[in-house]
Amino acid sequence: MNDKAYNPFEAAQTQCDEIAEVLGLETATRDFLREPMREYQFSIPVHMDDGKMKIFRGFRVQHNLARGPGKGGIRFHPQETIDTIRALSMWMTWKCAVVDIPLGGSKGGVICDPHNLSAREQEQICRGWVRQIARDVGPYLDVPAPDVMTNAQMMLWMLDEFEAIHGGKYPGFITGKPISVGGSQGRKEATGYGVIFTVREALKELNLKPENTSTSVQGFGNVAQFAIQLYNQMGGKVVCVSCWDQKENQANSFYKKDGIDLDELLKITDPFGGIEKDKARDLGYEILSGDAWIEQDVDILIPAALENQITTDTVDKISKSVKLIAEGANGPTTPKADKILKEKGIFVIPDFLANAGGVTCSYFEQVQSNMNYYWSKDEVFGKLDEKMTSAFISVSEFAQKRKLHMRDAAYTIAISRVAQACRDRGWV
Amino acid sequence: MNKREKSVENVILALKERSKELNCLYQVEELCSKPGITLEEIYIGIIRAIPPGWQFPDVCQAIIKIGDHKFKLNEFEETDWIQVANIQASDEIIGTINVYYTEERPATDEGPFSKEERKLINTIAERLGRRIFHERLKLVFEEREYQKKPESDWWIIIDLLRRTDPKLMARISRKMLNNLCWNGIEEAEKLLENLSPNYKAEEGELLKDANRPFQKKAVEDILTINKKIFKIAEDHLSENEILANIQKWIQEDRTGFLVNILENPASSLESIAGAIERFHHLSPQGVKLTTPREKGFRISLIRRLLSDQPQFINIAKHYIEVDNFFDLLNRIIYPAGSHGKLGGKSSGLILATQILKKSAEKNEVLSKIKVPKTWYLTSDGVLNFMQYNNLEEVVEQKYKEIGRVRQEYPYVIHVFKNSQFPPEIIQGLSLALDDFSDVPLIVRSSSLLEDRMGTAFAGKYKSLFIANQGSKKERLIALMDAIAEVYASTFGPDPIEYRMERGLIDFHEEMGILIQEVVGTKVGHYYLPAFAGVAFSKNDFRWSPRIKRDDGLVRIVPGLGTRAVDRLSDDYPILVAPGQPGLNINVTLDEKVRYSPKKIDVIDLKTQTFETIEIQDLLKEYGYEYPKINQLISVLHEDHMQQPIGIGVDFKKDYVAMTFEGLFTNSQFLKQMHSILKELHGKMENPVDIEFAYDGKDFYLLQCRYQSYGKDSAPAKIPRDIPKERILFSANRYISNGTVPEITHIVYVDPQKYSELSNRNDILAVGRTVGKLNQILPKHQFILMGPGRWGSRGDIKLGVSVTYSDINNTSMLIEIARKQKNYVPDLSFGTHFFQDLVEASIRYLPLYPDDRNIIFNEDFFQTSQNTLSDLLPDFTYLSDTIHVIDVRNTTEGCILKVLMNAEEETAIGFLTEPTMQFELGEKTLSSNINQKTSNVHWRWRLRNIERLAEQIDPDRFGVKACYLFGSTKNATAGIESDIDVLVHFQGSKNQKKELLTWFEGWSLCLSQINFLRTGFKTDGLIDVHIVTDEDIKNRTSYAVKIGAITDAARSLPIGKTRSKKG
Repeated sequence: MNDKAYNPFEAAQTQCDEIAEVLGLETATRDFLREPMREYQFSIPVHMDDGKMKIFRGFRVQHNLARGPGKGGIRFHPQETIDTIRALSMWMTWKCAVVDIPLGGSKGGVICDPHNLSAREQEQICRGWVRQIARDVGPYLDVPAPDVMTNAQMMLWMLDEFEAIHGGKYPGFITGKPISVGGSQGRKEATGYGVIFTVREALKELNLKPENTSTSVQGFGNVAQFAIQLYNQMGGKVVCVSCWDQKENQANSFYKKDGIDLDELLKITDPFGGIEKDKARDLGYEILSGDAWIEQDVDILIPAALENQITTDTVDKISKSVKLIAEGANGPTTPKADKILKEKGIFVIPDFLANAGGVTCSYFEQVQSNMNYYWSKDEVFGKLDEKMTSAFISVSEFAQKRKLHMRDAAYTIAISRVAQACRDRGWV
Repeated sequence: MNKREKSVENVILALKERSKELNCLYQVEELCSKPGITLEEIYIGIIRAIPPGWQFPDVCQAIIKIGDHKFKLNEFEETDWIQVANIQASDEIIGTINVYYTEERPATDEGPFSKEERKLINTIAERLGRRIFHERLKLVFEEREYQKKPESDWWIIIDLLRRTDPKLMARISRKMLNNLCWNGIEEAEKLLENLSPNYKAEEGELLKDANRPFQKKAVEDILTINKKIFKIAEDHLSENEILANIQKWIQEDRTGFLVNILENPASSLESIAGAIERFHHLSPQGVKLTTPREKGFRISLIRRLLSDQPQFINIAKHYIEVDNFFDLLNRIIYPAGSHGKLGGKSSGLILATQILKKSAEKNEVLSKIKVPKTWYLTSDGVLNFMQYNNLEEVVEQKYKEIGRVRQEYPYVIHVFKNSQFPPEIIQGLSLALDDFSDVPLIVRSSSLLEDRMGTAFAGKYKSLFIANQGSKKERLIALMDAIAEVYASTFGPDPIEYRMERGLIDFHEEMGILIQEVVGTKVGHYYLPAFAGVAFSKNDFRWSPRIKRDDGLVRIVPGLGTRAVDRLSDDYPILVAPGQPGLNINVTLDEKVRYSPKKIDVIDLKTQTFETIEIQDLLKEYGYEYPKINQLISVLHEDHMQQPIGIGVDFKKDYVAMTFEGLFTNSQFLKQMHSILKELHGKMENPVDIEFAYDGKDFYLLQCRYQSYGKDSAPAKIPRDIPKERILFSANRYISNGTVPEITHIVYVDPQKYSELSNRNDILAVGRTVGKLNQILPKHQFILMGPGRWGSRGDIKLGVSVTYSDINNTSMLIEIARKQKNYVPDLSFGTHFFQDLVEASIRYLPLYPDDRNIIFNEDFFQTSQNTLSDLLPDFTYLSDTIHVIDVRNTTEGCILKVLMNAEEETAIGFLTEPTMQFELGEKTLSSNINQKTSNVHWRWRLRNIERLAEQIDPDRFGVKACYLFGSTKNATAGIESDIDVLVHFQGSKNQKKELLTWFEGWSLCLSQINFLRTGFKTDGLIDVHIVTDEDIKNRTSYAVKIGAITDAARSLPIGKTRSKKG
């Protein structure tokens, strides 16, 4: 491409540099953190269905393993670049650090488009990827997971190849496995519950009781559904959810003044979180426009659908009654809008803290797999609560101490923890 | 003389006589045993020897008659004093010996002849007979000696025939002679000349003497020379050849009646059926025919019963056997004296079945294909039905104005449904029902025009499902009701309009009917096949560059195939290319679930209706009864999709998606499907599409026809003479079929500039801008062009970040792959919303501007006036990246037209005058008469709205001005188009209410007119948009349309009529 183009890695480095500046890190530490520790780039030869050979390009970037084995997904993408993977591996380092799980950050990928590959060819790529990198990954070194265009099936192929090469059973080599083959209970709920664990702690700080609060949620997928479930259990009232309507190709908001009934809505919801409009109307819901969720007079907003939803265009629509925003989705707030939120004094739980329930559960899967002993659902949720709560508290305390906003505090605390681990190991 | 003397004298006399007799015998014996003597010499010798041996030699004469020949010594008068003995050679009397006395002598034992003389003549005759027989045997032996081979079977046959059936023998001799002549054997030709001297010798005289009939010799003549004929045959042909020919001719002779019936255009179906039956029973194994005769039969039958289209016959004659018709005729219902055919759909199916049956001999996967039990009602049944009910006037429907046809159609249906069927048809249907018993049936149209090459009539005529439950009487009534409705559809407005468009209105259309068992099983109280669908031998919707057109395409759904046949607006069939079974469109879990079918068509046996129900509901209740369900579903366990094995699925709890994964990966289905498509395509010499169903046990072929094309997806004929400067782009890779006729706006995202965007928010803003343009540009009249992979989830750098809803109004999506360094990026082929594009008929085209031999007028896209800042001022900063080109403004009224032809792998986008007409390729089967091809829709809309505007009283309604925009203004309105009216309003609340009521009334009125013209129902046709002074000042809402840079609203004069009157 060309020099001017947007480069995700450069953007990530810039962010890292800014925090390092705040933390006053010395040059060596900065240099160490702004680049990956190790990168692997390799070729994967595959016998295609038509008998020809084709060479695919594979990657694994281990950004920083100071705090523990690497953790990060494997992406299959036709225009994958090493810079994208570098940026994402750095993001994983910070994400693990902010929830304080003992893992480092990695990311991997293969340049390919599964849309152009048969299942057999996909399997060959998965197995080929493992063959090339088998010595440099592992349950105690670097643990892959599903990501863009990879899935549980592929994880099983990879695990199988890894175990064949190493001559043993190593279920902890990879996460995102089906429950029947070494996956963890509670993964479906983890992200949504995690959001509410942080909300609960934030409400404590704001001196609000959940049962006295109301919430408007954008999205009605996995994250939103379980967030609403737990929030309802805590006594909170969700008055509005918005979701995408496949048929109309637009979003709708569903409003009920006295609070929505999750179970009744779930009965009329498709697997993608689309609520049937007509049936909802029959149940007494008011149907509003797709962006109406943001205008509600509630205490809490949970954007749990798409990125770039709170923008300079929409931020002014947020009601004065809103005290807390918990970012269930990745990147729902644009930087400019974020500034305005700060000015308005709205408490924001940043995305990589609020939705860290997912990565935490992935860590739990790894732990259980390594023990080859699996916890009950409740046990998983109990441990998840503990992790999320303590992570929230440490970020929040740090924010108060340093008079930082939550987002900045979260980044700072994450980078600081990683820097500390490097120092302790004598790397910098 | 005394007594004694007398007796002595008598004894001496007697002894003398005996001695004379002995002498005679010796002479005869001597003659007959004399070597080298001819039979004639023997005859003469015997005649000489006889008189001296008789009592009165001086008056004795002898004659020998052999056949017609007489041998005698002198002329004499034959008298009544005669003694005759037969000459027998072997067992045959071949002649006589006659002895006469020329004068009277005293009578003794036998007239004047003695009994000794009787013995003598008999002995001579016997001896002579033996001699003649011996002579004949000698001849035969000599011949044999000459042939030096044993006498063959065919001589025996010939001999037998000669004795038993001389007429047949004559015909066969004649055929042999002809055969020999055709083989150019000279002797045979000579023989033929002898036989009919006019044959050759008089060829020259033929013209001279045209008035005189040629002389012919009697049939008997040929009998006499047949020996010669076969002698020649023996010399020139092999024994086997002669034998085979004789056998063939004898059999052929027995089937002459069939020729007569088939060749006679006046023979009715009844007589044909009778003849076929007789033919079938001639021999239990069927009668073996000569190739030309068999071919003649086949072709005659194909022409009479199936189709008279030469292309069809040309192919069908290789595959359809005479005996196939025997089976078929048992299941054909026809009126008395019928001359009908089975119609297009039936013919296609019968042909395809036979092709596959033949191919199965070589290809095992084709061996288990079945066809559901089918009965046929001939095409003239509809005429018979109408005559019986005196409905002849309905035939004239097709010459009425289309609005009237539409208006009267419900009446036609009503009348047809309340008419009686002729008794012989009822009888036939009753027989059919007994045969079917109570399985659900589908009554399908099979008209003469339907499914012919070039006219698919896809979906124009009706096909109706009937549950076929209850008493025989109820079932019969339901069946007749359905047939009547299908009959009525012949006179429906859609097919009539279609025929008008195609110039087929004067063609004599008749409606055959196919009554077919619905393939399926009972699941709960529903009846359905495990799955069904349609398949195309050419894939025009390739989602990967690895898929070739020949890889075919299957659209498959659970349950009845109706949901695969139609494009769906609220659901998706599963698409798969049987030549590339591994390449799925849907790869991620989300895609797999999202684009899996959610609904299913079934027959509810309880309510006796055809229904669409939710798959989840069906499976929750009856999942375990559903045939082969494990092959069809995947079970969603959180984020893992499992193919169930064993007891792997709990239908009450698990979420299952219809993915057909097991069927595609663990069965022969796709291999079989690919073979079927390849075979049929190859043998029918054209792309085909088929319908199929699977009941859990067997695979059924339901229909086969030449590949049809929907809406704008027919291959476009690409003109070669377009001036280069008019071409904006061309392409020659991964082309599908189609035409995008009237493009007025182009949204062009510059690939270079897009890749240079350094700010993530700017990149995302490009997607948002496209989404906004999608809402404001004229629907289905703009195209989107831009780099890379549109709609990629994940890395937004790869292509414009949009969802389907951001592009759903475009008529076409063009992805551009520019070379980057040494590498051309892959395109997505629209995979991210591929199925949405397919179902919505949005065309897709990949462009490779850096390829050789293509045109890419980058200059046009970069330098034409960019109206983005006028349309979306907020996004002016993206003007470098996004170009919105109003084609008509920049080209002085031209529009962009895109033509795509997959066969030629060519697509072209060029500027042209807005003709509103586009040419279609030769093989066009487009049914899209109502859409963009016709310019009538906007014309009458414009005319009416102009008149209406004149009617508006500005004072009464508080209207300042009135404007028109959108498709009616742009002359692109189709059947569904609204008339977009913009009213500049300055009145009170009440006036506004009144105005809107006034418009509503007219809106409904115009909607009704539209319905009568097109059959398309809308809730109203006028879309009124009110704008106020404030709106105009602030340029908010639709006010931007007034005086807009692009696609501006046009002013409509108001209140004219009124002011004139006032």
